[in-house]
Amino acid sequence: MENTINSAWIKKLFEKSSDITIRPIKINQNNITAHLFCVDGLVNQELFDEAVLKSIKFDSYLADCRTERETIDYLLEGGAYDAFTTEVSDYQKLLKNVLSGMAALIFDAEKKAVVYDLRKFEKRSIQEPTEENVMKGSKESFIEVLRMNTALIRRRLRSEYLVIEQLYAGRLSKTDIALVYLSNIANANTVNKIRSIIKSIDIDNVSTPAFIEEYLVENKLSIFPQIMYTQRPDRVSANLSDGRIALVVDGIPFVYILPCQLPMLMQSPDDYANHFLVGSSLRVIRYISMILTLFLPAFYIAATTYQNQMLPVQLALSTQAAKQNVPFSSAVEVLGLLISFEILIEAGLRLPQAVGTAMSILGGLVVGQSAVAANLISPAVVVIVALAGISGFIMPNQDLSSGIRLTRFVMALLASFAGFFGLAAGLILLVTHLCSLDNYGTAYMSPFVDVEERNIKDTVFRFPVKYFIKRPEDVAGQNSIKQGTGRADR
Amino acid sequence: MKRLFIATLCLLQLSLCACSNDMNRRELDEINLIHIMGIDYSDGMYVLTAVFSSGQGADPEKNPSGSEDVSEGKGATPFEAFQDLKLKNKKTVSIANTGYFLIGETAAVEGIETCLDFLSRDETVKMESLVFITQGVNASYFISEGMKNGKMIHEDLEAVEQKLHELVTRIDNTLVNILNEMEDDLSGLLIPYLKTGEDSFNIGGYAVFDGLSLADYLDIDTSAGINIIKNIMRTYPIYLKKGVSLSVSSLKSRMKTELEEGLVWVDIHVDFESMVREVNTDEDIFRVEEQNTLTRLQNAYIEDILKKAVDYSKDTGRDILNIGRIIRNRYAKEWSGIRDEWKDMVPDIQYELHVRSRIAKSFILGNRR
Repeated sequence: MENTINSAWIKKLFEKSSDITIRPIKINQNNITAHLFCVDGLVNQELFDEAVLKSIKFDSYLADCRTERETIDYLLEGGAYDAFTTEVSDYQKLLKNVLSGMAALIFDAEKKAVVYDLRKFEKRSIQEPTEENVMKGSKESFIEVLRMNTALIRRRLRSEYLVIEQLYAGRLSKTDIALVYLSNIANANTVNKIRSIIKSIDIDNVSTPAFIEEYLVENKLSIFPQIMYTQRPDRVSANLSDGRIALVVDGIPFVYILPCQLPMLMQSPDDYANHFLVGSSLRVIRYISMILTLFLPAFYIAATTYQNQMLPVQLALSTQAAKQNVPFSSAVEVLGLLISFEILIEAGLRLPQAVGTAMSILGGLVVGQSAVAANLISPAVVVIVALAGISGFIMPNQDLSSGIRLTRFVMALLASFAGFFGLAAGLILLVTHLCSLDNYGTAYMSPFVDVEERNIKDTVFRFPVKYFIKRPEDVAGQNSIKQGTGRADR
Repeated sequence: MKRLFIATLCLLQLSLCACSNDMNRRELDEINLIHIMGIDYSDGMYVLTAVFSSGQGADPEKNPSGSEDVSEGKGATPFEAFQDLKLKNKKTVSIANTGYFLIGETAAVEGIETCLDFLSRDETVKMESLVFITQGVNASYFISEGMKNGKMIHEDLEAVEQKLHELVTRIDNTLVNILNEMEDDLSGLLIPYLKTGEDSFNIGGYAVFDGLSLADYLDIDTSAGINIIKNIMRTYPIYLKKGVSLSVSSLKSRMKTELEEGLVWVDIHVDFESMVREVNTDEDIFRVEEQNTLTRLQNAYIEDILKKAVDYSKDTGRDILNIGRIIRNRYAKEWSGIRDEWKDMVPDIQYELHVRSRIAKSFILGNRR
């Protein structure tokens, strides 16, 4: 009884829920009574009247149906004024459909239900991406509604090979997840692996993106992001064309892309919107910034505490002059200021925007200036930490930025323990760790660690588009040719 | 596997901490960074004079001068003097950032290897530091003159270095070059010397060493001759008697050396271009005939300079052009036979000088008179 479709049982199940509607509807004179089952607020009332009530009451053919089976068959064969009408015989599926906003007519004798997709709920309109804005290019970004997001992808890839598989996770939340890939390009093993991981997720509630991410990430101890997210449909379609796989999660306004490699996280949509030389220079600046933000504070500590011969004469003299009368060691100065910097960022995020700006000015300028004037920190350290901090925010991916920020502390600590020896040890550990990461069969540091020359054309430098003839071999399972050489056009 | 990884990490950290105890951890502001060091010899003692900055602090308004301080150390050897210097200083003394070493005349006469030995064994010393000889005076006097009236001596020495860069394409008086030259007993060691002027320092020419002791000072022209033959001259002024001045803009020289029947023949070919810099004559020097005359004159001018260098070598028997090294490398077999007699052979070296030139970029303004 509990696992079959029955209106009495469902009514009992939801008797304390005021938003659940279960009421009988007499269909015709043959004493066929169905039970309407829906959630108030999730169903489009106008569509409901038109597609369900009107068709039941005024359809003369329906009056001729003598059994529930005949009625269901008639409704599915066009009697229902809704293109997305389906028959459901599984109790769990019925619950999931209705709780996600569909309406159902329950036929107790048949232990079946006819489900109408009449969902309508308040949602955000499609807006400009907040994190990945570009000067030239699409201004659309994903929203919290899964179907809208898959539509945005479908609109860009009008291919019959585009597959949007529907999965769900969360025992209570039953969150919809769409597994999106191009079946003629994507690696089937990777698709299967991701599908089985999602099916194996056994948690109550997928309330934050991190829940999904943690299941999908292969090396959970690493602080470097192994899954890329984007707000931009055009970016998803580009990655799908390369053979990658996208995951659209209902309620999350961005889409995950797998497998992910470090160079992907250093790319920005702007790189492709500009001339390839401009795009390449922007990328070079980004890589330089990554090096600066990782190593500059540590380098300063090592050079001013241990191996001061590393500094050019004039720089050593000016740094020494600036450090006079400061009571703290360079390590304490740098680490203290780095922590203060993180506190400022965290406080700025939590406060309302207007107060946040005022606090940034107060924290960054007034306190910083006063600390220098009071000889608590040297001006050189302020410059070093500010430069490292700003460089960290140039990273196009916030997860990567956070990972690098944390690594920066480790490097600074190692440098304060052992100078350049510590820094070198940290660098070796970091490179070893990054090179050891494997992401769904592809190296995280690919294509830097590849022998394939073709993969390097879109890394530190962005080659002209005509050179992107082949897809990354380790990502795309089949169909490696991406485009023609373009010679025929000339 | 995980345990092994964590254990390795911990071990690494421990070893790093252990290392830090032995890595001379010293904050930058706890060190007196010597940026100029003078080395003198007087009364049987070596005297080191160190110039270092007295910092301004974080607030430059409180102590705007950022002046220089001087400290001295004495000892029987330069290293002993350096230890004395360290003892006399309140802070740790470091030569890791020393950019200039000034060697007084008496110390240079006593032997440059003694002066520089302790530096060559210091792992922190900057090998690109420049070494100069102070002509006729001790380095300490030179330093004190340079710091008179609140002047900053290191700024003067930076200006000297800048001038050197303007004159030559390669600076050979770096510590590493001099140490290398000292190892080769054939090299005629040459180190630039500085003269104290009215209110500044001037670059003289080269100080010539006999073995490793200071022997003589070359004038500017002879030194320029050496630079031309070594193919490191960047620019050089030519003053002709006709009231025309030119400057060498592009110079190439090559030296061909041959050993025949115990006699060394050296062909020196110099090709250069010059630009007209000054015309104080009524003659139209931009006519072809005049141009040819000027070319001949400037060839003779440069040839004279080369001759000065060559004649000095022949007259004194000092192989300042490093011909011996070329012969050794080219005629390794014959070299073993003449090695011991080389110093006697230097005056007999036969030089042939070939100078060719062209006046370029001279017709822009024409003759304005």
